Amino acid sequence: MVRYTIKRLILAVVTTFIILSLTFILMRLLPFQKPIGTNDAQYSYYMTQVHQGFVVDFAVENKSYGELLWKYIDSMGGRHYFYQTPVMTQYFSWLKNIFTKWEWGTSTYVMQNVSALTIIAKRIPTSMYLNILSVIWSVPLGIFLGIVAALNKNKPVDHIISTSVMVFISVPGFVLITFLIWIFGYKLGWLPTQWAKSTDGDLAKFLSYIIPVFVLSFGSICGYCRFTRAELCEVMESEYLLLARTKGLTKRQSILRHALRNAMVPIVPAILAEFIGILGGSMILENLYGINGIGDLFITALNAKDYNVLFVDMALFTTISLVAGVILDLSYGFIDPRIRMGARK
Amino acid sequence: MEIFDPNKNYGLNSTSFQLVRKENEGKIHDAKFETKPTTFAKDAFKRFCKNKSSVVGAVIIAFLLLCSFIAPIVSPYDVSNGSTYIVQKLLPPKAFKSGTGFWDGVMKYDHIVYDQDKECPADFTSHAVKDITVGEEEYTNTASKYAKGGYIELHYGTDSVTKTGNGFLYNYKDFKITATDSYVAKVVFGDVETLDDAKQTRYRTLIQYEESFETKYLEVSPWSSSYGEQSFDLSSTLSANSLTSLDKCKFRIELEDRTDGDFFLLVQSINISSSNTDVAEELASISFTDANQNALIVKNDNGTFPSNYWQSNIERYLYHASIKYCNFTYDAYDAVFGDNERIIGETLMLEYVSQGLCDYDFSIGPSSFVSKSDKCPVVSVLAQEFDAATGVNQLRTITTYYKYIGLKESPKYLLGTDKNGHDLVTKSLSSLRTSLLVATIASAVCLAIGLVWGAVAGYFGGTVDIVMERFTDILSGVPWIVMMTLIILLLGNNIITFAIALCMTDWIGPAGTTRTQFYRFKGREYVLASRTLGASDWRLIFQHIMPNGLGTIVTSCVLMIPSCIFAEASISYLGLGLQGVNSFGVILSENQVYLKTMPALVIFPSIIISLLMISFNLFGNGLRDALNPSLKGGE
Repeated sequence: MVRYTIKRLILAVVTTFIILSLTFILMRLLPFQKPIGTNDAQYSYYMTQVHQGFVVDFAVENKSYGELLWKYIDSMGGRHYFYQTPVMTQYFSWLKNIFTKWEWGTSTYVMQNVSALTIIAKRIPTSMYLNILSVIWSVPLGIFLGIVAALNKNKPVDHIISTSVMVFISVPGFVLITFLIWIFGYKLGWLPTQWAKSTDGDLAKFLSYIIPVFVLSFGSICGYCRFTRAELCEVMESEYLLLARTKGLTKRQSILRHALRNAMVPIVPAILAEFIGILGGSMILENLYGINGIGDLFITALNAKDYNVLFVDMALFTTISLVAGVILDLSYGFIDPRIRMGARK
Repeated sequence: MEIFDPNKNYGLNSTSFQLVRKENEGKIHDAKFETKPTTFAKDAFKRFCKNKSSVVGAVIIAFLLLCSFIAPIVSPYDVSNGSTYIVQKLLPPKAFKSGTGFWDGVMKYDHIVYDQDKECPADFTSHAVKDITVGEEEYTNTASKYAKGGYIELHYGTDSVTKTGNGFLYNYKDFKITATDSYVAKVVFGDVETLDDAKQTRYRTLIQYEESFETKYLEVSPWSSSYGEQSFDLSSTLSANSLTSLDKCKFRIELEDRTDGDFFLLVQSINISSSNTDVAEELASISFTDANQNALIVKNDNGTFPSNYWQSNIERYLYHASIKYCNFTYDAYDAVFGDNERIIGETLMLEYVSQGLCDYDFSIGPSSFVSKSDKCPVVSVLAQEFDAATGVNQLRTITTYYKYIGLKESPKYLLGTDKNGHDLVTKSLSSLRTSLLVATIASAVCLAIGLVWGAVAGYFGGTVDIVMERFTDILSGVPWIVMMTLIILLLGNNIITFAIALCMTDWIGPAGTTRTQFYRFKGREYVLASRTLGASDWRLIFQHIMPNGLGTIVTSCVLMIPSCIFAEASISYLGLGLQGVNSFGVILSENQVYLKTMPALVIFPSIIISLLMISFNLFGNGLRDALNPSLKGGE
């Protein structure tokens, strides 16, 4: 088990490294995005790029480097011709910057010349609050509904819960948010139709949390409910539960001590993975509701072709999903030794 | 209890036993089934039909499929791309005749800006407006084409970046002042003590002029705090400073800089006049009487300011301009397809005449027009104009638009039209067809790849699995947006590119499901038993393990079809967009902006995709149960 764990962790690190490298190289193959703004701002951007090793600066024209990015005569009268360095050279400069200086590049558009890491760090809290709020109440509620449905299997309560779970799990998130905004925002006017601005009052801020948290939690409530119901139903029909009843345990005791514990085996890893996921943000939700989280940042950076910010944002999403995957796989083994992910045939 | 003793004779020998069958009675055969044998597919179908909700799901899917294939053929409305129908964009839903009061394309509007000159709601066609009630005059602080009067608020905030000394306002275009004629500037100031924590400030007036490249000032009136209508005699200021005339003058109002917070000054109008009638026109072009109109002034196209522009170093807002709002009902169909003014050419009119629709004589003119048929698009002729350049007559007419474009009656769009003027129902269903087709092909490809990949990875496990899993990890880890962008750059922005991009990564899902199923079943006793009996890997994979996992695998693949549509919508939302492609995801995301004004445009496609997802889920669940061999024959 320990060996497997170490192997998985090392592999996760290697995978992350390969993915990020590949993404970096692919993104550098896209057309170079020139910065906007005044000459001074552009000059300082190009000089940063030169410093980071992605762009070279010549005093004369140099055709061997391909397309000229920008030419500029500085205040001292010095001539600058900026060219992109070859992709692999950029890749090694990038590695050097990260390993020696933890430097991930600067933004061209979102906040010009500001480090991409700083921009991400500014955006994370909003997405994180939303996710924490939604996880806090959706996990217990989902599991509770699942238990209720499983214990009343094939009774009206179960039918109602199962049908609504089926409906809500099927409806895409953007449809849900559209309907919520339309009904509660425009028709009834109870909730704001956009995310509150920093200048708005506390009440407006609080109200603007309701729709996003609701939308975020719907998916996980339904997921946990369905998962719990399926697992619990299976356990309820097993022989050992029958044994527990026959040896004289009450229904309550047998469910709490035997059935639930075993049913929780696959659910707990999913919850752990969910907590890793709170760092991420939902792109479409944040975009539609105007939330300044990292999901929205992704779209803004993508549309403005601000590749450095986009790259760090992607790196964050990739790392989150890989770490969550590792934890999911490992925790299966810890919780239920019968399951050996990765075992030979 | 007696214990068996092998040495004891119990009276049993070979003759005590009798063979059940003797050799000469022939070989032993299984008895033939009394009932007809059933195949796996038949049994699965039988069990599927017992699941009512799945059948309902399947029926809905079939219905939507049928609609998406038939609707574009049956529908009378053309939904091909282009701007032909742009004139009928964003019409409300209409199913019944106008005036029915329900679903008739007539919409109620509340609190719409009223155009007082045209006497109809601003930006609406007047003949389609009914039951209009115009409200009392209200005040607005936003400059608007349809507002009147108001004050210009010169606002000097403490946090103003440009705060350098006194605030000022002067005319952009210079004028000439002579001491001999009388020049008077009449200014009407507003008198409000405080405005949003800002305080009214004192002002003074000056004449600003240029002398040898230096700006100089003559004080007309000292710091004052008397507001309302004020007159300033400019010519007497000149004579007081013993000047006879100044060539390039500006009239300048200065605001006193106060350190105790924000301050402001309200100016309603500035009117500069002279006793010299020659310059009256020039002075009038500098003056302004309507603050709202002055606030609307923007730079000319060439970057210069118009003559009635007034320059200031501080923020300018509009304050208290009067505006009217109105409530009314509006028949958007009448506005587009009803009787509108239209210029038609001579050839067209002659055509109508030759068809016997109407009579018209070009030598007599408009009065000769007689309509002879209901089908005649022209209702009346207003004027006849001869275009010398082309040598033909042009007629200004009132024309019924739907007849003009050759329709028998005004169209009824069940759920209205989108921003390109296309019928929403037809457009949605025909794009659903495209989307479903692409999604089905993509899912089939992904299923084929994923099934083999997952089976190999799951069955062999160990190093093979680790290597294959790493590959999928890496592939799914590279953000699909980057891949999509690269593929779009390489192959162009179209639906096939999208399908290829989907196939690149979407097989990872089915592969994962298949792999998990293989891990679940490969350790089972029946597989072990089969292996001990010498079954090959191939046989174990496809005969023993795959059928058990097939239910789950098929379910996950069935759900791929709606998720492809979902992915397409997501791409459009992200702005990567399959622009100009007739696909469902594009419709969903494009119409999102009309949620407030035309909810039907968003709600209808949303309902369809939700219905599709729900039905596919129900259908998939039923399929999973039906294909599960362990439930075979069970009730």
